[in-house]
Amino acid sequence: MEIAKRGRAAVTICSTAFTTLGRAQAKALGIPALPIAVIAHPFGLRKRDEVREMAKQCVRDIVKLVS
Amino acid sequence: MNDDRAALFEAPDDIDAINQLYRARRWSDGLPVVPPTVERVRQMLACTRRPPGEVVARIAPGFGAATVERIAINAVLAGCDPEYLPALIAAVEAVAVPEFNLQGIQATTNPVAVWIVVNGPAAERLGINGSFNCLGQGAWANATLGRALRLVLQNCGGALPGEMDRATHGQPGKYSFCCAENEAASPWEPLHVERGFGRGASTVTVVGAEGTMNMNTHTKNAGELLRAIAETMQHPPSNEYCHGGEPWLILAPEHAEILKAAGLAKGEVKRRLWELSKMPARRMTDKDLLRVEASRGNELGRIGPDTMLPIAPRPEDIWIVVAGGPGTHSVYVPCFGNSRAVTREVKDPG
Repeated sequence: MEIAKRGRAAVTICSTAFTTLGRAQAKALGIPALPIAVIAHPFGLRKRDEVREMAKQCVRDIVKLVS
Repeated sequence: MNDDRAALFEAPDDIDAINQLYRARRWSDGLPVVPPTVERVRQMLACTRRPPGEVVARIAPGFGAATVERIAINAVLAGCDPEYLPALIAAVEAVAVPEFNLQGIQATTNPVAVWIVVNGPAAERLGINGSFNCLGQGAWANATLGRALRLVLQNCGGALPGEMDRATHGQPGKYSFCCAENEAASPWEPLHVERGFGRGASTVTVVGAEGTMNMNTHTKNAGELLRAIAETMQHPPSNEYCHGGEPWLILAPEHAEILKAAGLAKGEVKRRLWELSKMPARRMTDKDLLRVEASRGNELGRIGPDTMLPIAPRPEDIWIVVAGGPGTHSVYVPCFGNSRAVTREVKDPG
C-alpha cells in the first residue's frame, strides 16, 4: 500500500481465502484499484510440482497486472 | 475531523425495528442492541473530559477512526453504564499500540479474541468481577465492557466475520472477554504494579487470547502444581511454541496461596514454569517445525527434533493474574503468539 501511494507499481498477492480481506483493506486505505494477484487456497496439500506451477502462473499474473 | 463524526439516523421509535436495522446493516454482534439515541450518547460522553471528535485510534484492518463519540456509541449499543467509558477508551488506545498487532489479531484465521483485564480502584468502582465466575455470565460490567470493545473492533475496524475477520471458527470470547484481577485474594503484587503502574492507578490490559483451558488439580504441593500447569501449557499445534509467545495464566487464589506458601515469588513461579514447559520439538508436525524454524531461528538457532522449545523467549514473558473465587481451578490462556499485551491507565475518573 505504501509503495502504491508513492506512485510506484505495486501488487499484492492473496490466496482466495484472503481476497475479500485484501480488497476491503485496499479500499479502506484509499487504493481500491490496488492490483491483487490471486492464488488458489489451500495449497498446503498440493504436490511440489503443482505449487511450482502455481508460482509460475502467479508471476505471469503479476507481470500482467503491473504492465 | 468532521468526516469522522457519527451520522445521525432517523429510526422508528420501536425497539424491534431498530434491531432489524442494526441486523440488516451488520452493526451488531448478533445480539440485540441498546439504541444509541442522542440522549444516551450524550449521557455516555458526560463521563469523559475528552472531546467527542478526538480520534483515540485508527482500528485495523479497515483503519476507521475510533473517535470518542464513536466509542461512546458502541458503549451504548453494548449496554455499558456511562461510567465504563473511560475504561473502554483506554482499552481502545491499548489495542492500537503496534506491539499488540491488531492487524494480525483482527484479520487472522486464528480464533484469537481480545481479553481485557482491569486492575486498580476502577475494578471495584465499576463492579468488574474478578471473583466467582469472573469469566462467565452475570456481571454487567464484565459483559458489556468486553462486548463494547468487540463492537468498536467490528464497527470502527471493519472486522466483519467472513469479510475482514477471517477467523476459521472464532470463539465465544469474541462476544465478550473481560474480568478484573482479584487483587485482594492475591499473595503477590497485582498485574498493573508488575507492569509499571502505581498501586492506586486503574488500568486495563489487553491480551490476544486464543481461549481458556481449565486446570482442575487438588494437589497442595507446589512442585506438583507447577508440573501440572506446565504440562497443560505444552501443546504441539501452538502459536506460542511456534512464534515464541506470551502465555497467560489465571491462578485461582487457592493455587496462588500454595505457591506463595512454598516461598515462591511470582518471578520464580514464571522461571520454573518456563523451564518445565519446554517441549521437545519432535512433538510438532514436520510442517509446523518448518514454521518454528522460520519464526524462531534467530532466537533458538538450529532446531532439531531433540531441541527443547521454550514457550516464550524469556520467563518474564509468562504473565500471571490471580482471579476467581474459591476452588481448585486455574486457567491457562493460550495466546496468539505474534502479539504482546498492552496496559493503559484509565485516566478519567468514572
